[in-house]
Amino acid sequence: MIYDDEMETLPREALEALQLKRLQHTVERVYNLVPFYKRKFDEAGVKPDDVKTLDDLKRLPFTTKQDLRDNYPFGMFTLPLEQVVRVHASSGTTGKPTVVGYSKRDIEVWSDLMARSLSAAGVSKGDIIQNAYGYGLFTGGLGAHYGGERLGATVIPISGGNTKRQIMIMKDFGSTVLTATPSYTLYLAETLKEMGISRDEIKLRVGILGAEPWSEEMRNTIEEKLGIDAIDIYGLSEIMGPGVAVECAEAKHGLHVWEDAFIPEIIDPETGEVLPDGEEGELVITTILKEAIPLIRYRTRDITRIIKEPCKCGRTHRRIERIKGRTDDMLIIRGVNIFPSQIESLLMETEGVEPHYQLIVDRIDNLDTLEVKVEVSEEIFSDEIKHLQKLKERIEKDIKDLYGITVKVTLVEPKSLQRFEGKAKRVIDKRKI
Amino acid sequence: MKRIRQISVFVENRPGRLLEVVELLGKHNINIKALSLADSSDFGIVRLVVKGTDEAIKILKDNGFTTAETHIIACMIDDKPGALANVLNILAGNQINIEYMYGFTSPIEGKAVMVFKFSETQKAEKILEENGIQMLSQEEIREI
Repeated sequence: MIYDDEMETLPREALEALQLKRLQHTVERVYNLVPFYKRKFDEAGVKPDDVKTLDDLKRLPFTTKQDLRDNYPFGMFTLPLEQVVRVHASSGTTGKPTVVGYSKRDIEVWSDLMARSLSAAGVSKGDIIQNAYGYGLFTGGLGAHYGGERLGATVIPISGGNTKRQIMIMKDFGSTVLTATPSYTLYLAETLKEMGISRDEIKLRVGILGAEPWSEEMRNTIEEKLGIDAIDIYGLSEIMGPGVAVECAEAKHGLHVWEDAFIPEIIDPETGEVLPDGEEGELVITTILKEAIPLIRYRTRDITRIIKEPCKCGRTHRRIERIKGRTDDMLIIRGVNIFPSQIESLLMETEGVEPHYQLIVDRIDNLDTLEVKVEVSEEIFSDEIKHLQKLKERIEKDIKDLYGITVKVTLVEPKSLQRFEGKAKRVIDKRKI
Repeated sequence: MKRIRQISVFVENRPGRLLEVVELLGKHNINIKALSLADSSDFGIVRLVVKGTDEAIKILKDNGFTTAETHIIACMIDDKPGALANVLNILAGNQINIEYMYGFTSPIEGKAVMVFKFSETQKAEKILEENGIQMLSQEEIREI
C-alpha cells in the first residue's frame, strides 16, 4: 500500500525538479560547512553554482567510507552536536567505526521513509511488528522501530537472539510482521519446527528482511517454510539506515529507491564512470534531504543495476536490482560487517600465532558461520593441549568482544595455509547465495 | 635428576598426518621408543621418546613441523598386576597431579616402562625416589 500517495507517485518530471532543488541546497551546505567537501570540490574544480542540472552531479567528487573514517568521529557533520539528536555507527577496517549523526528532522524523515518502506511491503496500522533487528549502534533496530511506530503499527522491540523467547512472543502476542535478517528468519523457521509449533499457531504474514545479501532462492525457501511474504529491504548507516530502498509487495522485483531523499547512480567501480540505467555496477548514493551528515556521491560498494522500466505498483521512484555483492572483500556475517583485515589486525596482536590465516565463510543450518584458520607458532606451541585450547578460546573471545560475532578458531600447522605472491585471497566464501 | 627428553609435535586432525611423522623418522633411521597421541577436536599432539632426540627435532623442523621439547619422568615398574596401581597410589597419596602418562613400546623381560608428565616435576621426583621407584635416565633409555 502506498503510504505517501503524492510523493511516491510524483511524475518523473516533478520528482527530478525536486531532486535538483534539494541537490543544489545540499551541495551549497556541504561546501560551506564541511572543510572536507570544500577541499574536494576545489580540487575537482567545481563550485556549488556549477550544479545546474541533475546531470551535473557526475562532476562532483565521490565520498568513500575511508573519508568518513578520516574525519572520525564528527568531522563530516554539517551541524553542531547541539543539533544532533542521535548518532549511529558501523564497524570499520581499522577498528574505528564510521559515525553518522541525525538531526531531529533527519529522524523524522527516516521514520517517514521507513514507514513508507514498511507500507510498500504490505504492513499497515494494526499490524504487530516483531522487530528482531539488533538495537544499538547498528541502525537496523531503531530504524525499523521508528518506522513501525510512525506507521501506527504495534512494535515489539525484541531485538535479535533468544530464539525460543522470540517464538513464544510471536505466538502469544500474535506478531504479524517480522523484521530481521534473512538468515535469522530461516533459523527462526527451523526452531519453530523443532518446537513442534505449527503454522496455524502463529499469525506471521510478512517478513521485511535485509542487512545482509541474500538470494531469490533464499526468499523462496523462507516463504515456503514460514508461509509469509518475504520482502527485501536495503539501507546502510552512512546513507541513513534501513529504508533507503525496498521492494513493493505488488511486484516483489527490484527495490524502489526513495528518490525524493536519495539520488542513485551506477558507476563502473574501476573508472568511476557513470553507467546508463540497466547496466550493472557499483551503487553510488547522494543524500539530498539529510541535515546532519549529507553525503555527496557516496560509494556504497554494493553491486546492482537500476531498473528503468516503470513498476506496476504505480510508484515513480526507480528500482535497483537485489544487491548482488560487494566490490571489496567485506564480509557480512549475520548482518554484522567484518573485514578480513579486522581479523588480521587482531591476530597480529595475539602472541603465539603466525600472521597467516584464512577465513572460511559458510552457511550452516541457514546461519552464517565464520571459521578462522590460523597457524600456530613455534613459540607458543606447548606440549599441553589445554594451552593451545586456551589460545584458541582467547582469539574467539577477542573477536566476539570486538566485533560481536561468534567465530570458530582452528589452529593449523605452520606453513599449511596457502601463501600468496600477489594479492592474497584469504577468504573462502562457501555460502551459496 | 633422572629426566628424559620428549618431543611433542603439533599435528592437525587429518588422515595420514601421524603417518607422515612416523614415516619421516623411520626414513632417517630414528627409533621410536614411546609414543602417544593426544587430541582435541581440531588438532593433536604427538609425543615421542626416541633414540636421537636432537636429530629427530632437526628432521621434524626441517620438514615444517612445529615441535616442543619437554622433560618427563620414566619409571620402570614390574610387569605384573597391581604394579602401576602401586605407583599411582604413592603419587595420589602425596597430592601429585599427573598431566599425562603413556607406556613404552619395547619391553624388558618382566618390566614395564611408563612415562609421566607431572604438574610438579621436582616434588614428584623426590617422592618417587623416597619410595624406591626406579627412574630411568636418558642414557638408560637408549639401552632399552
